[in-house]
Parts: sequence; structure tokens; C-alpha cells
Amino acid sequence: MTPVLGSVSLSLAAGFGILSIILLSLYIRSDDYRFFLAGRRMAIIVSVLVIIATLVLVKELITSNFDVDYVAHYTSIETPTVYKFTALWAGQSGSLLFWIFILSIYSLITIFQNRNRYHRMMPWVLCVILTVQLFFLILTNFITNPFEPTNADFIVANGLGLNPLLQNLTMAIHPPVLYLGFVGFTIPFAFTVAALLTNEKGSLWVRSIRRWSLVTWLALSSGIMLGGWWAYQELGWGGYWAWDPVENASFMPWLTGTAFLHSIIIQEKKNMLRIWNAILIMLTFALTIFGTFLTRSGVMSSVHSFTESSLGPIFLAFVAIIVTVCAVLIFHVLPNLKSNKHIESLTSRESGFLFNNVVFVTMCFAVFWGTIFPVISEAVRGTKITVGPPFFNQVNVPIGLLLLMLTGVGPLLPGVELPEVTL
Amino acid sequence: MLPKNKVVITVTGLALVALFWIYWVSANPMDEKAMVKFISVQEVLHTENHERVRIGGIVADGSITLSSTNKLEVAFTLKEGDSFLPVEFIGTRPDLFKNGAEVIVEGLYQEGSFHADILQTKCASRYEGDLRDASSYYLDEIEI
Repeated sequence: MTPVLGSVSLSLAAGFGILSIILLSLYIRSDDYRFFLAGRRMAIIVSVLVIIATLVLVKELITSNFDVDYVAHYTSIETPTVYKFTALWAGQSGSLLFWIFILSIYSLITIFQNRNRYHRMMPWVLCVILTVQLFFLILTNFITNPFEPTNADFIVANGLGLNPLLQNLTMAIHPPVLYLGFVGFTIPFAFTVAALLTNEKGSLWVRSIRRWSLVTWLALSSGIMLGGWWAYQELGWGGYWAWDPVENASFMPWLTGTAFLHSIIIQEKKNMLRIWNAILIMLTFALTIFGTFLTRSGVMSSVHSFTESSLGPIFLAFVAIIVTVCAVLIFHVLPNLKSNKHIESLTSRESGFLFNNVVFVTMCFAVFWGTIFPVISEAVRGTKITVGPPFFNQVNVPIGLLLLMLTGVGPLLPGVELPEVTL
Repeated sequence: MLPKNKVVITVTGLALVALFWIYWVSANPMDEKAMVKFISVQEVLHTENHERVRIGGIVADGSITLSSTNKLEVAFTLKEGDSFLPVEFIGTRPDLFKNGAEVIVEGLYQEGSFHADILQTKCASRYEGDLRDASSYYLDEIEI
């Protein structure tokens, strides 16, 4: 009975998500506030339904209901309870459900925090969040449903159990923390898109998304470090850091996210660099989805990829849509965004931040280039050339030294006050 | 020159230098392990070249032999489709290295055998396998 509840919750969530987007678009068109209230309520329902579905799956995992295919594949009767729980993010469909679960919690926090603020931006913010939720809901509803029943021809007496490599206590901390960081960038992204569409010029929202990004950044950084620690403990995962595609997948949004955290300060204090910041956060968000694609698709041979699946093209299509929409949006609003203020000197703090941004984005591009090089070389020359750690180490050394120099010089440059006490 | 233009020129210059650097490193790798060709077992057997390559395949059943004097030395046969290749490796083996495991090796092919210095395993298939192989039984086998 209960697995059906989870399955139905997921389908209903998708339905309510579509309804909510329709209602919010009606509000944007007609300015009738009732549409907004109804749409927002629907958005809350979507998130609550996702949370219910996740709790149902956790319950099935803990009680070892092998009628659910996912439970039978990733746990067994002998699996310790803590790993039965962590099996929620061990497999593909479960981890996708876990992804929307975190996004839903973030969505509820965003709705609650801004219930009386930003009435022009919020419908767009919710629309963006709902679109991302809908993408993952479509995946979990139609392509890889975590509540899929086991084959009815036979009875499963015991499940296959959790992979021993995953039975490590870090399994309980690393993936959730990393996901908190990965998924968290959706919210600043949604606010930025909303601000571009409504031509919002104030700095209040910038302040709130900067705070949000800081927390997200902290989670992503901790997640990456925990991952390194775990990889060191397992034989065959290449030590703390091996420049594996899956490791790079988490590192690339970290680099652009770090750049964003710096340059958003300039926007908050001086209302400059708005286009650049918008591009940075869009890039960061697109890279988180691209990272999920790398991890899930099996396109790049990686020691860390646990599942190879048909999800690759769908994720790649979603990344392509995000990039196209963002590019169109930027070109569309470009005339409104030009700031009449300019950076006053080459040795000001503002240009220091700009150099920092160039360094981080370059580093990200170098990592990106090395990560996709095998695919490019196969497409262009016909032979697949794999890229090893020496490439990444060599290419990043001078860039890293430049960054180190900026770290020392930056605080001494005159210019915009840094937000030292306030977070 | 306007300060704004100075900033634009410096940033653009910096970005161009960086791009050239990335291109240069990928064209002239300092270390032979930086860029390695990934080819099939078939291609390794049929081309007599002495360059570093990376290959993937399955450890043929029962082919693993550990050195009796030194537990770090291992020899096994790598199977990819219908092609077989003897592989020698010295070093710590990944936790999941065993018969039937999907592995990736990197090294040199010399005198009929592949000398690997990198050995990686992919996840054991059991954990992604068919439930029918495990402890399940068909409904018609049950007496009611």
C-alpha cells in the first residue's frame, strides 16, 4: 500500500507543479493577486508532496520492503539500519528523489522567508524553482521511478545489499552535504533570473542571495572536502583528489560560485557588474546540472560512477535549454543593464575582484576542458585521449599562484568597503 | 587612456594569456601520464607501438595469479569481447579487484604482455545486477 502513496505523491506533485506555473503566469499577466496566492499555495503543496514521497521511500528502506525494486537493489536484511537509511541516495532514482527533496525544502524556506517581500520578483522566482522541480519530477515519475515494484514473477527473499564501498560512515554525511551545496545554487539563480526579467535594481535582494550563496558555498566546500577524505579511505578511489570527472563535476560550480561570492559584493555596494554576476550564477547553476549529468550518464569513464544509464541525453538537453534560455535572456535585457558607473582605477578593490573572477573562471575552464577532452578528441580525431592528474596539476599551478598573489594583494587595495561583520 | 579601458584591456589580456596557456599545456603535456590514448584490447594486440595506452575490460575468470614471494605482484588476463590480453601489475590493488571485475589499466604493451602501472576497478556488477541471481524464487516454485 505505502509505496503507492509515494508514487501517487510524485505524480500529484508534477500535476500541481504545472498548475502552479500556470497560475503564476496568469498573475504576471493580469496582476490579480489572488492568482499569486493560489499559485504560491500550489508551490507549497508540490514541495510537501515531494517530502512525503521521500519519507515513504525512507520508510520502505528501513522496513526492508523488497516489493520495491529500489529497496531490493540497494539494501538487504543484513544491511545495518544507518546504511538502509543512506541507501536513499545510493542509487540513481533515489538520489534524484533526494535532489528534489532538498530543493523542496529550500523552496519552502524561500517562500516562507519572502512571504511579504518582492511581490514583483517572487512569481518569477517560484516559476524557475518549479521548472527545476518539474524536470526532476518528470525523471522520477516517468524515467526512473524509485517506487517501481519488483518483477511480479518472483518473490525477493532478500535484497542485493549496499555496495561495501558505500558502507562507510562518510556515506551518511558527504552526499547530503554536497547536495545541499549543489542544489542550493538554484535559489540565487532563480532570484537573478527574476531580477533580470522584472528589471529589479534594488540591492536588498542582492544582499539576501549573497547570504544564501555563502551558506550554499560552505556546504559545497565541506562536501568536497568530505569526499576527498572518503576517497582517501577507499582503496582504488585515487586518494584525496585524483581529478576524476566526478570530482571535477563538484569542483567546477565551486570555482564559479566562489567567483560569484566575490563579485556580488560589488553589485551590492555599488550596483555594478550586474551582467557579469548574472552570467556567473547562471554558469554555476548550469554546471551543477552538468555535474549531475557527468555523475549519472557514464559518458566519462570514472571510478566513481556507480550507475550507467540512459539519463545522459535528457540531462544534456536540460543543460542546453538552460544555457540557451540564459543567453537569450542576457541579450534581451542587456540594454537595461548597462551601469553608468565604471571602475575608477586599475589598482582599486573593484578591479581586484575582477581579476579574482578572471582567475577563478579560467581555472574552471581549464578543469572543464580537461574533463571533456576525451569526448572532444574522440569526436574530432577518432581516438579517445584520456586526461590524467598531471595535466590538471600543471595547468593549474600558474593560475593558482596568481590567485595566491591576489589573496595577499586584494585586502590592501583601496575601494569598496568589505562586509566584515555582517554576513 | 580612460581607467575603464585600462581595466578592460588588462582583463582581456589576462584571459587571452590564460587561454593560450591552457591550449599550450594540452598540446605539450610535460608528463607522459597527462594525455593517454584509450584504445581497445584488439588495437593493443594488433599495433606494435610502444606508447603509453589505457584499456578497459573484464578480468577473465580464474586468471588472477598472485606472486608467491611478493603479494603486490599480480598477473591476470584482461578480456574485452573476444580478445584476451595478459596483464602484469605491481602495486596496491583496489578493494573490488577480483575475477569478473570491470577494470581499467594503463601502461605499456611489451613482448606480448601489458605492463600496467595504474589499475582501477569499476563497481562490482552484483550491486547493479539482476535480482533473479540473488536470493529470490519464482512463484511457481512455491507450494501453496
